[in-house]
Amino acid sequence: MNRFLRIVTVILVALTMLVGIGIYQSMAGSAEGKGIFASKKCGDCHLMAGPNTDKTFADKLNRKGPDLWFAGSKFKKDWLEGWLKNPKPIRQMEYNSIEKKNSGNHSKLSDKEAGDVTAYLMTLKSKDVAEGVVKEGPNIQGKIAFEKKQGCYGCHPVTKAGKVVGGLSGPSFVDAGKRLQGDWIYAYLKNPKSLIPVKRMPTYAGILNDADMKNVAQYVTTFK
Amino acid sequence: MEMIKRITFTILTALFVTIFIGINQAFAVNAEENYKWYCSQCHGLTGKGDGINATKDQPVNPRNHTDTKEMAKLSASDVENVIRDGGAATSKSTMMPPFGKTMTDAEIKELVAYLSKLCNCKFK
Ligand code: HEC
Ligand code: HEC
Ligand code: HEC
Repeated sequence: MNRFLRIVTVILVALTMLVGIGIYQSMAGSAEGKGIFASKKCGDCHLMAGPNTDKTFADKLNRKGPDLWFAGSKFKKDWLEGWLKNPKPIRQMEYNSIEKKNSGNHSKLSDKEAGDVTAYLMTLKSKDVAEGVVKEGPNIQGKIAFEKKQGCYGCHPVTKAGKVVGGLSGPSFVDAGKRLQGDWIYAYLKNPKSLIPVKRMPTYAGILNDADMKNVAQYVTTFK
Repeated sequence: MEMIKRITFTILTALFVTIFIGINQAFAVNAEENYKWYCSQCHGLTGKGDGINATKDQPVNPRNHTDTKEMAKLSASDVENVIRDGGAATSKSTMMPPFGKTMTDAEIKELVAYLSKLCNCKFK
């Protein structure tokens, strides 16, 4: 019996230490990531303290890159880490432009840097994005809202029958399911002002009903 | 004394009016700016239907807003409705999106007038 207790104690101590080290490491990664972010001047182009207070088209045109102050609510972690190591164009056009192609020259990070910066970015959450609202998996109503009731692919590239089709002014949805969290998509559709106040995309809140906004958010996460 | 009071009052009123107009103008967006920001991504910066979203695989082409003959077939209320509620409003394709929650009614009305200039035509 004594022997049994001793084994249990040893296992418990080991477990506690492992969890502790785990938490410590994820915190250290995030602190280092924040340092890397500052030293590489990523904040020159990305808004890191929300909310975004843009009011006019001119305010928006002054921004050099998409906001990251809600990155932890918006992106899927694995995608983010992979993209920072090997960034490929998400927007077909240069940021904010409807004339110039995106030349795809975003700065790259090493494996270690990408891990740390991802840990940091994933800590940045927006209180306006409720978690656990949008499910994963196919959604027929969402597909109808996306293709028939509205023409979301009019501005967003999508894959159809193995071919990339659709408009070019919006971010690509070709791998949106690997990239975006359904909850963020729904929050953005429902209350765009809280996340992207000035944008070329029309506001759909009040046009699509609440159920359809959830459905379409879920449908977008099936693009992989 | 009465005179000074009146002058002060006039100056203050003038100041308030100027500031108010200034603030209003800072937020009001004219039709051309709205067109270039929202519509031109599909209809093109000069309205010829050649915006960057008019890729060859799209199911329908954005209307050429400089096509006098085609545009003159529309009524002013058709145009207003299609901007507010999207293509479905005039039994056209939903590839023409609704802007009723994006722009104010006044802005949409001004866009109708702007389109009339682009097509060099009068809507029915
Ligand atoms: C010169 C301006 C500039 C700098 C500096 C910059 N970025 Fe970016 N970043 C952009 C632009 C523009 C995009 C959009 C790229 C695209 O759509 O393909 C972008 C996209 C991103 C995205 C994806 C965001 C989204 O909403 O799609 C992340 C994450 C990101 N950058 C992280 C970083 C990090 C980390 C650094 C520092 C190492 C950095 N950026 C430095 C301009 C910049
Ligand atoms: C008129 C063009 C247009 C249409 C139509 C359109 N979008 Fe967009 N969308 C955009 C643009 C432009 C952006 C980029 C906004 C920004 O960051 O300034 C965007 C951004 C988004 C984003 C955020 C993507 C990201 O990676 O940051 C989502 C999600 C989205 N749109 C969903 C939809 C859905 C769902 C529909 C249909 C109901 C739709 N869009 C219809 C132009 C459009
Ligand atoms: C996502 C691309 C897109 C955007 C953005 C867009 N349109 Fe359109 N528009 C279209 C398409 C496609 C058609 C053609 C529909 C059809 O023929 O079935 C069209 C048709 C029209 C028509 C003709 C309707 C009719 O009954 O023949 C008008 C007027 C119009 N658009 C005005 C505008 C205005 C004004 C804006 C900006 C507020 C705008 N559009 C933004 C794609 C777009």
